[in-house]
Amino acid sequence: MKKRSKWQTIGTVLGETNINEFFFSLKNYQAKKGDIVATETNVPDGNGKIISVTVWGKIMSIDCSNEWFPRQAAQELANEDIDIRDTILPTTRDELICKVSILGYTKNNEDKLKLLPLVYPVKPAASVDYPNSNDVEKLLISDLNSKHPIYIGSLLARESVEIKIDADNLVSRHVLITGMSGSGKTVMVRRIISELMQKMFPMLIYDIHGDYLGFVQKNKQMFPNNKVKLFYPNLSIKSEDKEIIYTLIEKLGKPLTEPQNDYLNSLINKVKYEESSLIKYINKLITQSKDYIKDRNSKTKGASSGMGHIKAATMFVVNRSLGQVVKKLVSMEQTNFRHRKKMANLKFEQLPDAGTEPEKIISKGQLSILYLKGYETLPASAIVSILSESLFKHRQEVEEEIPPFLTIIEEAHNFIPSRTENKDNLPSVETIRKLITEGRKFGTGLMIVSQRPARLDETIVSQCNSHISFRIKNQKDQKFVRDTSETFDAEDTKQLPALANGQGVISGQVVNFSLPVQIKFDEQLLNTDIGNENFISTVEKWDDKETVKLRKKFAKDFSSISESNQRRPH
Amino acid sequence: MNNNLFLNYINSAINGSKVVQANFLNVLDKVSKTVIKICNHENLIINLDYTPSTSWPTYKNKTVAFVDGGLDKTPMPSSAPLTIRAGSYIVNKAANEQLFKVNNSKIVDLFDPDNELYDFIDDDSFEDMMLNKKKDAARIICEAATLVNHIQSGKKYDFCFLHGPIQAILTPFTQQGFPPFTQLATEDFIPFINGKKDKERKKRRMTPEDRHFIKVYLECIKFIKKSPFPIYGVVETAVSAAYTKNLLYNFKNKGHISSKDYKETIDTINKYRITDSNLFEIILKRNQALKPIEIQKQFYGNKLIQRSMWDEVIEQYPKIFMGYVKATDNQSPIRIETLNYPKNLIKDFGYILCVSRLLPNYGYLAGLAVVDRFVKISNFMSKASRNYRSTHLLKQAINNKDQNTVSLALKILSKKNRAWINRPTKRRK
Repeated sequence: MKKRSKWQTIGTVLGETNINEFFFSLKNYQAKKGDIVATETNVPDGNGKIISVTVWGKIMSIDCSNEWFPRQAAQELANEDIDIRDTILPTTRDELICKVSILGYTKNNEDKLKLLPLVYPVKPAASVDYPNSNDVEKLLISDLNSKHPIYIGSLLARESVEIKIDADNLVSRHVLITGMSGSGKTVMVRRIISELMQKMFPMLIYDIHGDYLGFVQKNKQMFPNNKVKLFYPNLSIKSEDKEIIYTLIEKLGKPLTEPQNDYLNSLINKVKYEESSLIKYINKLITQSKDYIKDRNSKTKGASSGMGHIKAATMFVVNRSLGQVVKKLVSMEQTNFRHRKKMANLKFEQLPDAGTEPEKIISKGQLSILYLKGYETLPASAIVSILSESLFKHRQEVEEEIPPFLTIIEEAHNFIPSRTENKDNLPSVETIRKLITEGRKFGTGLMIVSQRPARLDETIVSQCNSHISFRIKNQKDQKFVRDTSETFDAEDTKQLPALANGQGVISGQVVNFSLPVQIKFDEQLLNTDIGNENFISTVEKWDDKETVKLRKKFAKDFSSISESNQRRPH
Repeated sequence: MNNNLFLNYINSAINGSKVVQANFLNVLDKVSKTVIKICNHENLIINLDYTPSTSWPTYKNKTVAFVDGGLDKTPMPSSAPLTIRAGSYIVNKAANEQLFKVNNSKIVDLFDPDNELYDFIDDDSFEDMMLNKKKDAARIICEAATLVNHIQSGKKYDFCFLHGPIQAILTPFTQQGFPPFTQLATEDFIPFINGKKDKERKKRRMTPEDRHFIKVYLECIKFIKKSPFPIYGVVETAVSAAYTKNLLYNFKNKGHISSKDYKETIDTINKYRITDSNLFEIILKRNQALKPIEIQKQFYGNKLIQRSMWDEVIEQYPKIFMGYVKATDNQSPIRIETLNYPKNLIKDFGYILCVSRLLPNYGYLAGLAVVDRFVKISNFMSKASRNYRSTHLLKQAINNKDQNTVSLALKILSKKNRAWINRPTKRRK
């Protein structure tokens, strides 16, 4: 490549260099942190020849100093309210020193850019150039050999450089997306989904907040060739998953003692599971248990049911606990229903049985969104576990009833919490561990999205080959990202707390090297029904309902009655 | 024995030093009290107004040049490289002007008979001392020539400040055998000397006397004296007592003190090496200044510092005006020199105070600190120059193929002061 002559020279390499980094003096305002720059050097080619190569690097930091502006002058300016622009102090002699992390070198005489590791230091005093946007784009995509690059945004430091990531690695080798709330995670996921939809790649999203409902709204308009399905959970389980009831009772109901567990066990064994709704089944258990209690309290002392050896109190406790579980599940279903009702113009469907009709959830060109709003962690985890497991089995089977697909898990810390969170027995943890370790073989990629990376299961995170991180202020989370991602540049992680909305650092197998990027914001994919949580406006427009108005009106009268009442109670 | 020596040493510091220092402070206190009285009597102390937030906006549109010279005296036994440059920092913030400019520069080898700076005189007496004088004279003349450049440029400066005295002491350059500048260098330093046109310039060949430092510098000084804008030389640390001595001399001439008292006081000042810095450090408070007094720089009182063949020329040097400004409590006052008495003393000194207070701890004109950094010959330059010269010497020696020559070259290159590191020691295990 003989293009260097067309590139603009922006600085000069300083005296001491090595094969990993160099420093250069930058002309004022000619480059920014994160920019890709190039310099020329000679390297031995291993055959006794010396070849001229282009060394590529990324500006990791820029230090600015004005040696001729002494600290004590600053002190006087501040103390005496002096404007430096009025004084004789020089303001044009800033010295800008850039630290450049070397990405590698490309041979000058080859048209195709192949980035090779630098084995000989760059030349001190060499000029540093600012390559054209097109050349930088070529470099960024060069080594990936990507057949399916997807556009996600631009280089943070240079808007004209488009960033594309490798879709093949993205859908098979698992991605972790982290960042604070509002930092741009969902924007990123929406961007990836949009691109993969163009490629008709099937996806399943576990959506807790309804962040992806915009796809449903804009389905026909933006993705006419795709199907977007919106599901709500169906709390049905297969008979072999019946064990999950123990966990539900343990987590949602009152913890049971050993004898109580024994009773529950015999109850479950006695009552046939008909693979209908889970709530119906638990209600059946309650009815059956009531019968047993009656029998236990009858003259036969439980002889007819064979439960005579169990204390009545034990039965009562189990019954109460089952009642609590049902009550909570019904409440969650109703909450989810209320949220769905608010979005009456969206068509929600009950989640089909993944065991028997997986194609209704995963099929070519289809995006399936499972709307989990209103569900507590445990039932949501159970739903995720059962559905994922079931779909994965279909991919494992020889028949391959469904195509490869990508699962997106939002608010992943709820489903795959770290061991330190003491929630190890959430059913989804084991399922996702299995998926992430074996998924690559079967084309079931995972995209894990979380605002609290430090609370994620370490085993699962370590299997994510690509990381995309947005703004992170929490120090524990920053440390976690640093420690778990081998591909993150140390300097990149330093800037995580200072990133703006939609700005992130992307690293791993989807890119050539760690890159700070500005994600393209797909505004049209926002869900307009949910709104912007503008509660102040809601209160400003608030008007009490009629019943509340009446209550308030009579409250004063009743209050005066009770105040007048001075008699002692009988 | 060592213990005794140490004991005596400490004893001397505790007891002897105490007496000596108490005596010095006592003398300093008495001299300063007397000088304060004289200053007050002569109404020399002025209070300057320091209101920077209101002053700076009015100074914003002033065009000011700060001038300094930089010198590299790379010591080499085999050659005498000399690099000098004098440059300016020209600033006018209202006009958005911040210009850094090298006005004069010279790169020569003083051992080279054809060097373009000095005529070559084959005289090996006091070689090192003469070399240093040549270098100093070259720096002084480059700085003066820069002031000449600014005057000639026709630019309307409000002030021009030189880092150093406005008129240097000439005595070191009066020594017999001090070489004249070359014709080329002289014309460079004082381009006005032969008229403006090149043709006229070629007609006149200057004599070695005309090209001698004392004469060339005099031409510069005369030219600077006629400057349409005020030019001040600013000295960071005064190592002499010129102001005090001249003050006493004037006072004696007026008959306010007897010749005997004058002589004894001058003797005391000389004996105790009391400087203006010592005295005015005590006398002046922050934001105070001493009005300039007229001083014949090359004389103490009425006596020429050292007589020489250049006396007649030296007597033609104009008197200077010397004052002091104290900008900070942390440092000694700075010495201000000018060839003409300031037309707007309070305003000019007020400006000097403001610029000096931009370095509130150092109390020196910030613009001169800036230009000092600008013209300084950086280490990397002198180091590179030294390396090339050493390599060259060694190559020449090796080409000679004589082992003794190579050995000599190596010795020359490694010539250093006696160092402890070379002393014989026991062999290390």
